[in-house]
Amino acid sequence: MLTDRIICAVTLVLAVVYFYATAQIPSLEIGDPLGPKAFPVLLGIALIIATVLLFIETLKAGAAGRPGLRLRREDRRHLLLIGGTTLWTALYFWTFDSAGYLVSTAVYLFVMMAVFNRGKSIANTLTAMLFALGSYVLFVKVLGVVLPAGILSF
Amino acid sequence: MDTLGHILHGFDVALMPINLWYTFLGCLMGTIIGILPGIGPAAGIGLLIPITFGMDPTSALIMMAGIYYGAMYGGSTTSILINTPGEASSVMTALDGYQMAKKGRAGAALAVSAIGSFIAGTLGIVALTLLAVPLAAIALKFGPAEYFCLMVFALAAVSSLTGKSAAKGMMSTILGLMLATIGIDLQSGQPRYTMGVPELQDGVGFIVAVVGLFAIGEVFSNLEEHIKGKAEIIRLRGKLWLTREEWGRSIMPIVRGGLIGFFKGVLPGAGATIATMISYTVEKRVSKHPEKFGTGMIEGVAGPEAANNAATCGAMVPLLTLGIPGSGATAVLMGAFIMYGIQPGPLLFEKRPDLVWGLVDSMYIGNIMLLILNLPLIGLFVRILYIPTGILLSLILAISSIGVYSINGNTLELQMALMFGVVGYIFRKIDIPLAPMVLSLVLGGIMEQSFRQAMTISGADPRIFVGSGISITLLILAVVMVMLPVVLPRLRKLKEGPEDLES
Repeated sequence: MLTDRIICAVTLVLAVVYFYATAQIPSLEIGDPLGPKAFPVLLGIALIIATVLLFIETLKAGAAGRPGLRLRREDRRHLLLIGGTTLWTALYFWTFDSAGYLVSTAVYLFVMMAVFNRGKSIANTLTAMLFALGSYVLFVKVLGVVLPAGILSF
Repeated sequence: MDTLGHILHGFDVALMPINLWYTFLGCLMGTIIGILPGIGPAAGIGLLIPITFGMDPTSALIMMAGIYYGAMYGGSTTSILINTPGEASSVMTALDGYQMAKKGRAGAALAVSAIGSFIAGTLGIVALTLLAVPLAAIALKFGPAEYFCLMVFALAAVSSLTGKSAAKGMMSTILGLMLATIGIDLQSGQPRYTMGVPELQDGVGFIVAVVGLFAIGEVFSNLEEHIKGKAEIIRLRGKLWLTREEWGRSIMPIVRGGLIGFFKGVLPGAGATIATMISYTVEKRVSKHPEKFGTGMIEGVAGPEAANNAATCGAMVPLLTLGIPGSGATAVLMGAFIMYGIQPGPLLFEKRPDLVWGLVDSMYIGNIMLLILNLPLIGLFVRILYIPTGILLSLILAISSIGVYSINGNTLELQMALMFGVVGYIFRKIDIPLAPMVLSLVLGGIMEQSFRQAMTISGADPRIFVGSGISITLLILAVVMVMLPVVLPRLRKLKEGPEDLES
C-alpha cells in the first residue's frame, strides 16, 4: 500500500533526525555508565526495526493486491475542510492571549458553527456567545481557573 | 492494620460526604462523556485534570476513576441508539443492540447493558479487591531490571494487540518513548531535544498530548464523519426494562462476559475491546441460534457490555499494584496520579492504603450510582444526542483550549496540542493506534530510569536483564506478544487445512 510506504519513508527520516539530535547531546558520564544518549540510541534502533517490519508487511500486502492511496474529489473536499478547521483553530489559539478567552472563543465558535451547523445563524450566534460567557464565568469565577481576559478588562 | 482493616477503612474514606459527591460527579461526567461523540474517557480525564488541581488527591482520583468507568457505561448508548460506537470496546454492542433498537426494544437493550455492566462491574471490583494485595506483594520483590522488563512486556503487548498492524503499534510505542525523552535529563541535567525552546525543558506536557491526540484529533475525525452524512437517532420507546424471558437469556452471558472481561482487563493490551469480541464469539458459539446473532439477540448485548465493564476493573489491577497501565485511558489515569505526586505501584499499598482502598471502595458505590443514572435517567442523557453535532464538536474544541491553557497559561502549549490533534487525526486515517503512544509517553521516563539504574547496579553489564527468573519470564512473554500477530493467523490457517496455507 502506498500509504504504508510513505509511513516507512517518513519514519526513517524521523529516525535519522533523532539519531542526529542524539549525537548533539553533550555527554557527562559521572556516576552513570550510560549517560543521556544510550536509551535514545536504543529507541532509534527500535524505530528502524519497526520501519523494516512495516515494510515487510507492506510487501506482503502488496502481493495480496491491496488498493493504493487514491483520493476521490469528495475526500479532497473533506481534507480541505479539515485543513481549514486546523488553520482556524491555530488562529484561535494564536489570538487566545491577546484577544482574550471570551472574544476569541465567541468568534471561533461562531465561524465553526456557521460552517458545520449551517442555516441556523440565530441559534449558532446565541450558542457561541452564551457558551463563551457561561464557560468563562464557570471556570474563572467559580472554579478559579486562569483564562486570559484580553481586550476585555474583567 | 491488616488488609481487611484497610479495606473497611477504605469505605470510611469513600463514604465521606465530599468523596460521595466526587464519585457522583465523576460518574455523571463519565456517563455524559461516554455518550458524547468526539470525546472518550482518556480525553475526558485529561481535560479535567487541571481543574482538579488544589483538590485533595484522594477525592480527585475518585472522581477521575468515576469518569473512566462511567464513560464505559455511557459508551453503549450511542452504539444502541445511533449505531455509532463511541469507543472501540462498544463496537460489539452495536451489532445486536442497534438491531434491537430498530425492532422497538431499545429500552431492553439499554436496560440489559446497564444491569450487565452493574453486575459484571461489581464482580470485577470484588476480584480487584482480592487480587490487588497478593500481586502488590509480588511486585515488591521487583528491582529496576525486573521493572524494566515488565514495562517492555506491557508495551510489547499493547503495541501488538492494539490496532490492525503490529509494526504500526510498535512505531506508535517507540514514538511515544521518544517524546518522553524530550526535556532535561534528570540524571545528567542535560537538555535533550528541546531545540532551545524553554517550554520544552520540562518535557512534552502529558495533558497537552492527551487532549491533542484524543480530544482534538477525535473531533477532527468526527467533523469529517459529520460532513459525510448524518446518523439517524432511534427514539426511545416503551418500558426501560427486560421481560422475564429476556432476563433469563441475559444472566449467563453477563456472568461469562464478566469473567472474560476481568481477566482480559488485567492483561495489558486492548483489554476491553478484545474482551468484548471474545464474549460475543463465546455467546454465539454456545447459543442454540447462532445464525440469529446480528439481528437483535439480547445475549449479544449482555455479554460484551458485561465484559467491557469488568475489563475496566481488571485494568485497575496492574495500574494500582504494579504502576503499569495497560491501556490509553488507564495511562491517562496514571498521568493523573503522577501529577498529584503519587506513584502508583506496590509501595502505594503500604504508604497510602487510605487512598488505594478509598478509591477501590468508591468504585462499589459508583457502580450503584451508575445503575441509577443509566436506568431511570437514561432518557435525560439521550437528549445530549439531539444537540446538533456541528455545535457539539465545536464546543469540545473550545473546552479543550480551557483544559490545556489552564495548566501553565501558555499559548505555545495550545499550539502543541493542535499539532498533536493533527497527528492524532492522521494516525487514525492511516491506522496507527494512539493508545500505545500515550502509554509509552507516560511510562517512558520511568522506563529509562529503571534501565539506567539497572545498568548502574550491574556496572553497564546488560546481562542484568536476564539475571532473574521474573525478568526472563517477562522478556519471553514480551517476545511471545510480538510474535502473536504473526504466528496466530498461520496457526489458524494450518488448522483450516494445508490447501488454505498453500493458497
